[in-house]
Amino acid sequence: MTEQTAGAHPALRAAAALQFLYARTFINRLRRQIARVRSPRYLAAVCIGAFYLWWALFRNTGANELSVNRLLTSDITVVLGSAFLLFSSARWWLFGSDRGALAFTAAEVQFLFPAPITRRGLVHAKLVRMQLAILLNTVIFTIILRGNAGSLAAWQRGLALWMLFTTLAFHRLAAGIVRASAIEHGGAGRRRGIIPVVVFSLLLGAVLYGIVNSWPMLHAASVNGMRATFEVFVSALNAPVPSVALWPVRTLIAPISRVSSTEWPVAVLWSTGILLLHYVWLLRLDGAFEEAALEATQHRAERLQRFRSSQMGQARSRAGKLARIPKLALTGAPEVAIAWKNIAAALRGGAWRTQLIMFTIGLAALAVATRTASERIGDAFVGITIGWGAMLLFIGPLWMRFDLRLDLPRLAMFKTMPLPGWRIVMAEIAAVTLLHSITVWSLMVVPLVMFLQNPGMLLESGATVPLLVSVVVAVPFFNALMFTIQNGTALLFPAWVRLGTESRGFETMGQNLLTTGLTTIMAAVALVFPVGLGVLVVWLADDWNGWTVLGATVLGSLVIAAELFPVLHWLGAVFERTDVNEVTGST
Amino acid sequence: MIDVVGYSKLYGDTVAVQSLSFHVAPGDVLGLVGPNGAGKTTTLRALAGILQPSAGAIRIAGIDLQAEPVAAKAQLAFIPDEPQLFDYLTVTEHLQFVARLYGVQDAAPRIPVLLEELELTAKRDALPSELSRGMKQKLAIACGLLHEPKALLLDEPLTGLDPVGIRRMKETISARARDGSAVILSSHLLHLVEELCTRLLVIRQGQAVAFGTIDEIVTARPELAGQSLEAIFIALTGG
Repeated sequence: MTEQTAGAHPALRAAAALQFLYARTFINRLRRQIARVRSPRYLAAVCIGAFYLWWALFRNTGANELSVNRLLTSDITVVLGSAFLLFSSARWWLFGSDRGALAFTAAEVQFLFPAPITRRGLVHAKLVRMQLAILLNTVIFTIILRGNAGSLAAWQRGLALWMLFTTLAFHRLAAGIVRASAIEHGGAGRRRGIIPVVVFSLLLGAVLYGIVNSWPMLHAASVNGMRATFEVFVSALNAPVPSVALWPVRTLIAPISRVSSTEWPVAVLWSTGILLLHYVWLLRLDGAFEEAALEATQHRAERLQRFRSSQMGQARSRAGKLARIPKLALTGAPEVAIAWKNIAAALRGGAWRTQLIMFTIGLAALAVATRTASERIGDAFVGITIGWGAMLLFIGPLWMRFDLRLDLPRLAMFKTMPLPGWRIVMAEIAAVTLLHSITVWSLMVVPLVMFLQNPGMLLESGATVPLLVSVVVAVPFFNALMFTIQNGTALLFPAWVRLGTESRGFETMGQNLLTTGLTTIMAAVALVFPVGLGVLVVWLADDWNGWTVLGATVLGSLVIAAELFPVLHWLGAVFERTDVNEVTGST
Repeated sequence: MIDVVGYSKLYGDTVAVQSLSFHVAPGDVLGLVGPNGAGKTTTLRALAGILQPSAGAIRIAGIDLQAEPVAAKAQLAFIPDEPQLFDYLTVTEHLQFVARLYGVQDAAPRIPVLLEELELTAKRDALPSELSRGMKQKLAIACGLLHEPKALLLDEPLTGLDPVGIRRMKETISARARDGSAVILSSHLLHLVEELCTRLLVIRQGQAVAFGTIDEIVTARPELAGQSLEAIFIALTGG
């Protein structure tokens, strides 16, 4: 590299240096991770992981080819997908983008910022670094969707997916720069930053206008079931005003889903145009980028990789007041102190409390609105809530990371604590289990509000109340199981698992999907006995609609606890045996 | 108070520390010195229960660290060179956390005293991100002292401290030794070692090359008589 570029243009020299840095980092990291396979534990994991990947990516997709294809190319997916992407992008502007998108590592700041590299070069460095995750996810989704591509070849869908992920990543980065710059420049910056906020407010307003405008039709269609309601919903979003607002995101999705091979080049051309516009936009932001990136890097160094919702959570308010946490008694069980510390991290380092409050209020309002609109819409909303709750149970443990995934980088300190390993592991899992259970329990506000609206429903509820109470009982045990799987994985494979609380954007959706799939399979195995026993009890009692369900749930939950007890002891022993050097390199 | 017998640590085929034996009595301050990579931090980490020895025995206040790690750890404090703090706990909350962890019964009155001793009172409600490097170091030391450990292990304790902080820290270490703690201090600052330590353990490539008071070391190596500690260190470690 030195000989070829020593006399070259500074930009080329910088590009060569960055290319060397990222290529060597990737190769050395990969080598280091592969070297772990010498350990039997890691070798076993590789074998299981390879089998799982083969099953998830190659074996399992062919079976539902037709239904996936139909779903992928349906109006509902395209319209709802574009609305979802619009709302996600709007969130970056209205509530602030994740600063993690901007941050450089401390080493990058030390070497790159004082180096003779232009700001534009730094922007490119950031863009190149993003591509690794984007490419990996493109491959994952291309494989998952292969065979379901209709008339599109795999490379065509792959290219379209890459453009979608890259544009979204660019947009998130740009949002981060503009907002950070606005904060840095006070009034003037805020005036500049207000334009995109206004634009996104208008776009969201246009979508909401379409829905409100079609409210009577939605109301009428709800009588004919979910499918009819969705169809009216889709036609509402296809109306001229919301359609214009959704055009950019719909254009990005179009080459992936709905076009024939003859239409594809045109669709891709539009998509490329939007991608290029984002690229040019980012290049024009290069001045603001350097200071925003530095500020973000400092922020990250100071507050160590906040949780996904960090853009809303603040350890201190603007007035300098510290977010309040429960008081810790100075004496008592020591593991409570560890759990308390993690709850403090969630309350001060994330936006768990803010989001929980907003989430609960929003759910309650929607429960009132939907039940008032019609019984069917109310039922549909209950169905959506149940679906969301089920999703939270499986995805939540990926998002909520205030446990060993937060603390393993400090393993050396934890090892000096006068506590056996299993009690430390238990305390780490207990805190997140409690927090996430509260999140899931908050969904109960929906039936609660509906019962309050119509107390008669409570008397006529039949099996509903025992089922709801059963869910309340089962949630913490299920969460404990899921968080044990997550923490156990981090503890057994610290060199492979990403530690810290920072989560990433759309570009890592594929990895998250695969990880969730694997943990779900592990949970399913662990649930065979408790669920089987519960079903047996209900079957023997022949009471599927009564309080026997609750009894069976309590029994099943106790079985989960009994399963977790030896697992925690084993993980505690692993914790005590884990070499601090094995963890240090993985952060 | 701290007994180490035949301690060895291997990483694969690499020997990090080989057959190290020494004793630190209550009130003693042992200076652990050696060139970079000599095995000082590995030794301190083993004494703190962070690393498992490959061979040998370590006893803290008479308790075998391998056989009864929880009881032994309750008697010691390890203060690493890089303070490890929790991002979302304030200075006071760190001490409350440690009090609960170690079961310190009289923590409530002791916390303000410690904060005052380490000049942290004004920062008691600050988060680690709001502290300077030196303040963080002081907080780590305060956390280590709260449960009045019988064995105090310090790895480069003066890093990041200002001159006043250094003086206060030296007083704090000496006071703990006078109160009967066994202290092991690892540092490259030889003048600090000379000033604070009652005995020295010089290691090189994982092996002890000298152990005792400076007089004892010089007696064993008469050619070092009259030389500065720096010269003695260089001669012993082959620098």
